[in-house]
Amino acid sequence: MIEVHGLTRTYGGFTAVDDVTFTAQAGRVTGFLGPNGAGKSTTMRVMVGLTPATRGKVTIGGHEYRDIPNPGRHVGVLLDASAQHAGRTGREILTLGAKTMGLPSSRVDEMLALVSLSDDEAKRRLRNYSLGMKQRLGIAHALLGDPEVLILDEPANGLDPAGIRWMRTLLKGYADRGGAVLLSSHLLNEVELIADEMILIGRGKIVAQGDKKSLLAMDSTVSTLVVAEDNAALARAAQAAGHQVTEAGEGIRVDAAPADVSRLSIEHGLVLTDLRSGAAGLEDLFLELTADTQRETVPAPATGASA
Amino acid sequence: MSTPATATAVNTRTIDISATPAVPMSRLISVEIRKSFDTRAGRWLTFSILGITVIATALGALFFEESAQDYVSMLSMAGGIMTSFLPILMILLITSEWSQRTGLATFTLEPRRSRVVVAKFLAGIVLSIAVLLLGASIAAVGTLASPVNGGSADWNLTWDPIPSFFLGTLIAVFVGFAFAMLLRNSPAAIVGYFVYSLIVPTVAGILAYIIKGLEDVIPWIEFNTAQAPLYTGDFTLSGQEWAQLLVSGTIWLVLPFFVGLRLLLRAEVK
Repeated sequence: MIEVHGLTRTYGGFTAVDDVTFTAQAGRVTGFLGPNGAGKSTTMRVMVGLTPATRGKVTIGGHEYRDIPNPGRHVGVLLDASAQHAGRTGREILTLGAKTMGLPSSRVDEMLALVSLSDDEAKRRLRNYSLGMKQRLGIAHALLGDPEVLILDEPANGLDPAGIRWMRTLLKGYADRGGAVLLSSHLLNEVELIADEMILIGRGKIVAQGDKKSLLAMDSTVSTLVVAEDNAALARAAQAAGHQVTEAGEGIRVDAAPADVSRLSIEHGLVLTDLRSGAAGLEDLFLELTADTQRETVPAPATGASA
Repeated sequence: MSTPATATAVNTRTIDISATPAVPMSRLISVEIRKSFDTRAGRWLTFSILGITVIATALGALFFEESAQDYVSMLSMAGGIMTSFLPILMILLITSEWSQRTGLATFTLEPRRSRVVVAKFLAGIVLSIAVLLLGASIAAVGTLASPVNGGSADWNLTWDPIPSFFLGTLIAVFVGFAFAMLLRNSPAAIVGYFVYSLIVPTVAGILAYIIKGLEDVIPWIEFNTAQAPLYTGDFTLSGQEWAQLLVSGTIWLVLPFFVGLRLLLRAEVK
């Protein structure tokens, strides 16, 4: 649905987006993930024509955004929930959108109900909104025109846990009905649960993409975290079998698959109290892939081999 | 998803846009007009323009010399106030999209920015004409009221000043629009406009007083000075005055307008 081809955007000598190519498909939620300043927002602004691309092209449903007539009816966009006139009421902001798109005012009420903004809250001016309320209003604005495609920049930002769950359900349902959702985030766990597909970006470049399974498969290190009643005995047995062993919390880490460790424990008659895969999770992978693009120098991943 | 596309949409890669008409210009204009009134600041601005006009007219009706308590005097006073403040209305139509960052929504709902600019321009003209007509009515009431103080309510309005006043106000509004597109920042554009309309002509006047010979050059390069004949004398322009208006107008209006337009159409909206 959304196709990005070789997109590059430079600012003077600085390359904010560097030859980015990916597709967000209909019926799926695509997570666009990267640390702050990785180029997520710039990419999204280029998609909807707010920022001109230096090179490359974006099509949405086969069209360039500016060629879509009354685009609000096809593409719902939320780039920054705070980017509205602080002196307008929530209802007025939606009304302006509905009027531009040619929608009846009843649509405004429907959307306010959908995002659970009460009548009273809708009458308040935006400057009196919390960030979470602004996000709800922004999502309502994006959904006004009943679009086939949703482009949301950090939509979960500022939502409380219940709000995040609500949004997850909303977007999932939207994709299940055939819509394409592209949402960005700098928080992995926000995206991990709803995204069918993830695009990882760091310093303007895509560092990895795929579904959760294929991303995890990129981590080839085999490792097991195990706790035995007699850790020392297990460690000796593992070392005798030629495995590297390190201490890890209450137990030890062995560079072997969980099945092999289990087998060892049976052979040596050792009782295990905990046994699980010690492979890096998505978060470690994310940090690792974007490590050279992070602002902070990230300490070696907590579950990494050096632990 | 209200369309039947839903059932088969899972694998579709294209959107059918053939049945979607573009946003009509009339709708864009009405939205722009609405935006001028849907915030306290917007309403306050329009009402204060009218309020100041009412107060000034009332003072005029009470305290002007009897010979000056005629409709043309009242009208030029109302017109002067409008010409100073209407451009702010026009400026904010453009700059608030950047200063308040509403442009993100505006330009995603109508990505063809030139259409938004045309809509704002026409909305500004509609608003200006409405406010001008109200101003003319206020001046009329002021004239009617002038006998309370011994004036004679002299209805001396002939046709001549009408197109001149109108042109003068439109020029002011257009200059505001051009500055707004050029700067895309509310305070900068408003300050810029007042520098243009108040400080530049004053400085030009002083320089003309000091430097001999400059007096003849200034109407060619200083737009406000070139417009003075619109408001004085017989309110009609001679051939040379038209030429001066054209030359100085190119510098202060046409040039900033097109440079500003070009910048606005390409600027990044953040």
